[in-house]
Amino acid sequence: MSVAAMIGALLTAFFGLMPSYEAFTYNEALGFIDMRLIFLLLGIMIVVEVAERSGLFRFGALYAVKVSRGNPSILFVSVCVIAAAVSVFLSDPTAMLLIAAAMATITKLLRYDPVPYFISAMIMINLGGTSTLIGSVSNMIIGVDAGIGFTEFVEYLGVCEIALWALTIFVLYMLFKSRLGEKKELPKYDPWESVEDKKLFYRSIFILILLVVLFLTLETFGIGIEAVALGCAILALALSGADPTEIFKKLDWETIFFIAGFMFVVGGLESSGILKDLSTQLFQAVGTSDLGASMTTLWFSGLASTAVSNIAIALTFTPMIRGAPGLNSPAVWSALILGTNLGGATTPLSGAVTMMAIGALKREGISVSFTEITKVGVITSLVQLGFASLYLIVRFSLWM
Amino acid sequence: MDVNSLVKKWIESRDKQPETEYEEAKRKFEMAIGKPFITLSVEIPTGFEGFSNEFLKLEKDYQFHEEVKDLIKKRLLLDSRNKNRT
Repeated sequence: MSVAAMIGALLTAFFGLMPSYEAFTYNEALGFIDMRLIFLLLGIMIVVEVAERSGLFRFGALYAVKVSRGNPSILFVSVCVIAAAVSVFLSDPTAMLLIAAAMATITKLLRYDPVPYFISAMIMINLGGTSTLIGSVSNMIIGVDAGIGFTEFVEYLGVCEIALWALTIFVLYMLFKSRLGEKKELPKYDPWESVEDKKLFYRSIFILILLVVLFLTLETFGIGIEAVALGCAILALALSGADPTEIFKKLDWETIFFIAGFMFVVGGLESSGILKDLSTQLFQAVGTSDLGASMTTLWFSGLASTAVSNIAIALTFTPMIRGAPGLNSPAVWSALILGTNLGGATTPLSGAVTMMAIGALKREGISVSFTEITKVGVITSLVQLGFASLYLIVRFSLWM
Repeated sequence: MDVNSLVKKWIESRDKQPETEYEEAKRKFEMAIGKPFITLSVEIPTGFEGFSNEFLKLEKDYQFHEEVKDLIKKRLLLDSRNKNRT
């Protein structure tokens, strides 16, 4: 995918700079890739990689299993919560790998059907990414481009996210209630025993808390989130004592290069005026009222992200909204944040997290039908998008 | 091959997390929640190369596993006694 995006960037540069087209100049092209976003991504990836090495997220998963005391309903809810919580920091595939490994172990041990736990974790991981500005790459893209800070994100969407977590867990519980299994004795274990280096563990917690506190406080002084992320990444590297080469190797370079390439293509299209025309046509059809624009953005991006990468959708939509007169409002940006994320676990083809879940189940020798995943995915996505629509209308008084 | 199988095959090819990474993560959970275990890799002793078939069969020999467990018990008890003395 990254190579395809970079070939696209190369072709955009070639045709855009050609004297016969001259869509943009070389100096303009240099500004197509937003380095603030690249720095933000790199910073967050480094901080999270260090935290993952400390066993912090594994500890969380072990603790979530322990609190259930073998009660399948409590286990189900705590797995859903921890799956969404770890994906606030971890990328979706990494979170899925961690939760799938935990679920494979515990469902095998207690002889539970793993399918409800795997599918629910997959949906909650996708939802967890929506929850904060750094929860998913698409959120970071939209946040940096729209100038939405960490505090504003919480202010616009905090209540919605909490409600979406509760609502989704309720829907999943109702769908899988009969398949969760019976109460069984859980083996005695201490989650602390899984922590190999307690010093690194506490340092990782400190850095994550510091990251959030600085995100909340420094933006009032005009310091961007990318600077905070990079600063915390340097601190994490220094305090962890880990080999930086090993950390750098583990970063998701595929995503970084995909974003850089795609951003260049979008920059070229923006300069040529094509995106503005597209935006005008799309939003003229539904009117440029906040209500029409927000609902179009939410449902269009939500449905599109069931089949297309949400990163690509965020990168394409942000210049369209920014460039359209009268659309640059918190309601429309919030709609885009919710839409790009919520469709991501609708079908097996929707994103990396669904593919990972199917792969993990297959490794455990369990075959799950596409229809089953799609059925649960469609129901939860529709409930989430429906609730998000109502929330946006009420939160931003869109009916007025 | 029908369309369903083709799509399934494509999705599986997109599952990029290496199997070893998943197995490693699972092993850590198994060690924490289930019974801890160790995996040893033992080469055939020098001078016993002619017994390679018998040697390979030991991997699935239940009686041999029990003997190794007994050896581990003895070793752990001995370690514990030595620790108490010091």
